[in-house]
Amino acid sequence: MKRFAPYLVLLLLLAACFSLATVLQERSASWSKRGASDNVLNVLLGDGRRLFANHFFVQADISFHSGYYPSIFDQASRPKDTSHMTAKEGEPAEEEHEKQMNFLGPPRDWIERFGRHFIITEHTHLEGHKESEILPWLKLAAELDPQKIETYTVAAYWLRDLGKIKEAERFLREGLLNNPDSYDILFDLGRLYYESNHDAARARKIWDLALRRWSEQEAANKKPDLLKLDDIAVNLSHLEQTEGNLARAVQLLELAKKASPHPDVLQQQIAELKQKLATRAPAAAPKAP
Amino acid sequence: MEPIIETKNLRVEFRAQNSGQAKKVAVKDLNLSIRAGEVFGFLGPNGAGKTTTMNVLLGFVNATSGAAFLFGVDVREPIARQRIGYLPELTYYYKFLTAEELLRFYARIFGIPRAEADRRIDHLLKLVELESARKRPIKTYSKGMQQRVGLAQALINNPDLLILDEPTSGLDPLGRMKVREIIQRLKNEGKTVFFSSHELGEVETVCDRVAIIHQGELKVEGRVADLIEKYQANLEKIFLNIIGYEPQLSA
Amino acid sequence: MNTVSALAGVVIKELYRRKDFYVLFFLTAVITLVMGSVSFFHDAKIVRYVKEIALLLIWVSALVIAIGTTARQIPAERESRTIFPLLAKPVTRWQVILGKFAGCWLACGLALIVFYLFFGVVSGSREHHWPLLNFCQALWLQWVMLGVVVAFVLLGSVVFAAPSSNATISFIVVLGILVLGRYLNQVALQQPEPLCAVIYGLYFLIPHLEWFDVRDLIIYDQHLVGWVDCGLATLYAVLYMAVFLVGAWLVFRRKPLNL
Repeated sequence: MKRFAPYLVLLLLLAACFSLATVLQERSASWSKRGASDNVLNVLLGDGRRLFANHFFVQADISFHSGYYPSIFDQASRPKDTSHMTAKEGEPAEEEHEKQMNFLGPPRDWIERFGRHFIITEHTHLEGHKESEILPWLKLAAELDPQKIETYTVAAYWLRDLGKIKEAERFLREGLLNNPDSYDILFDLGRLYYESNHDAARARKIWDLALRRWSEQEAANKKPDLLKLDDIAVNLSHLEQTEGNLARAVQLLELAKKASPHPDVLQQQIAELKQKLATRAPAAAPKAP
Repeated sequence: MEPIIETKNLRVEFRAQNSGQAKKVAVKDLNLSIRAGEVFGFLGPNGAGKTTTMNVLLGFVNATSGAAFLFGVDVREPIARQRIGYLPELTYYYKFLTAEELLRFYARIFGIPRAEADRRIDHLLKLVELESARKRPIKTYSKGMQQRVGLAQALINNPDLLILDEPTSGLDPLGRMKVREIIQRLKNEGKTVFFSSHELGEVETVCDRVAIIHQGELKVEGRVADLIEKYQANLEKIFLNIIGYEPQLSA
Repeated sequence: MNTVSALAGVVIKELYRRKDFYVLFFLTAVITLVMGSVSFFHDAKIVRYVKEIALLLIWVSALVIAIGTTARQIPAERESRTIFPLLAKPVTRWQVILGKFAGCWLACGLALIVFYLFFGVVSGSREHHWPLLNFCQALWLQWVMLGVVVAFVLLGSVVFAAPSSNATISFIVVLGILVLGRYLNQVALQQPEPLCAVIYGLYFLIPHLEWFDVRDLIIYDQHLVGWVDCGLATLYAVLYMAVFLVGAWLVFRRKPLNL
């Protein structure tokens, strides 16, 4: 009996641990959500994962610039937003960005002058199918911080540009699952259906939903995201114009005009549409939305 | 004939560990002269200055004043160690090397050509009875085997002077006998052996001359037979008397 | 030279008989292969992220090997008392320093060759394109940089008694230079005097190891560094190696070694 005593004590201790665990299991959920999470990264990193997600997003930007990127010591020159990542050459966002990225300046001493032979000193953007190189970083960023909207929108933009429509849709839907109220993701999804799939009906539904979400979230804000409202309304208006729903198109352009940085251009479009409406035969019925 | 080992007023002082203490004098004005072909025993209690003296001879420590020479060359010159072999008390060698690799490494340091090195390695490994273990890493060796590797590396350059620090320490009686045999063989070949030991019985058997050092000072030096006759006692009793643990003996 | 090459040979034997190198290589290979096997949006042509991760792991592993191997050379010899039978031979302390340096540096070079071969296979299998000259230049520059690191750590190993403190301090200093060295002048100009002068002085004093980090040129398929610039950078590194090695010798030759 004496010989087995240590083993019996061990068994008793194990039994006590097991019993305690069953009692504490339910209680522990109220202490911390982290341990209860089914996401390994969330358990390991907690909220710190957002730092990593941000790092990977910046890494995507660095990759987009083929390594030419300002350091943390050139903070003033760091891109303030990601509009350059989805802007084409010649667009105002791109030109503004070009000025910002001229951060190197003349070398301050011989060490800096010599050191520039070993680094990338030319500002370029990826092109010619090479944009796919930024996608792994965006995917990792999305894994770590599913609540970062622009990860999905930037990735979807390039996936569509590379002809990977299904992958773009899947990624945007994943983003929507994690951010059901995001009008940005809804807008991009709508663009995908309209421009890539040519599915006007679906695009209309999504953009309408985006408009509703925008109103719910931004209307009461002191500084609402007017650019996004302009984007959604103008695109939806264009869809309605194509479908022959000119009255609705005019309504949407009126809405966009309040938010647009170029209201006079929109006003001109409204005037043209109103003229078309007036000259249209009364018998011609618009397609039902 | 020029002495093989010579020290002239050798003095070694160490700075005190604490600022309040005076500096420690490890060796005080030591004058030694060891001739070619001798087996010389360097004796003393712990802390007497034996190891410090050896450190100076081997170039590990610089003398504060005085000088030390090996084959007439200042010990601070690396070339002074070209013709010596050294066996430390605590035998630690590169554990990841085999006995053969270790000997080959030391042979390269001495500039021994490859063919000659191979021949010597074979001979030495046979001499110290490590032939069967030559390809095994030293970390797998017992203490006795490591001691024997040590002896082999001390002999790789066929030295004219062998400096041994407690060569039989940690060995069983058989091992001690083998070491004594090797020392005797070296003596017969005309080599000089300088060793420190606490095994006074062994020293009495093997050595031609001895020196006893105590508190850094040379107390007595001479032929073993002459000392025994002079003090009418064995070496152990002479040693104890010198360091002050026995009543005075008739001189 | 015999003595130096014999000592170097022992260092290299130690490296490939210890497990460190194999563990680091295995980790690098596994992480790279796992990352490389992940399919992002069904695009098999995406390769830059694999190159980036692989090169980062190679750099980290090489630094671990360089600093870890070098930091323990002389302290381990003293602790294990193998320095005594060594210095009892006709070996000068300068030869010991040079031999340890040569062994550690060559060991790093051998490790780098294996790592870069692996990298070449992985990136080439995706890109179907092997810019061998770029790889060789990157390998050369990294190896030369590691020479400076090894010499620096060797100086530290005769100054600091414990290999762990030497390794930690060396890691911090080397990583600091790699990450911040390029920007110290900017930081200096933003400070008031006399801090500006101190930081600017430091900027001129430190070895600019970041010059030798040309990973971006490999990842983003950029041009080679000019061979004259490469040569000048090599000379710069050799000068710093000499400074640190002479410093190590000056410290080591005065150190008493007590049995």
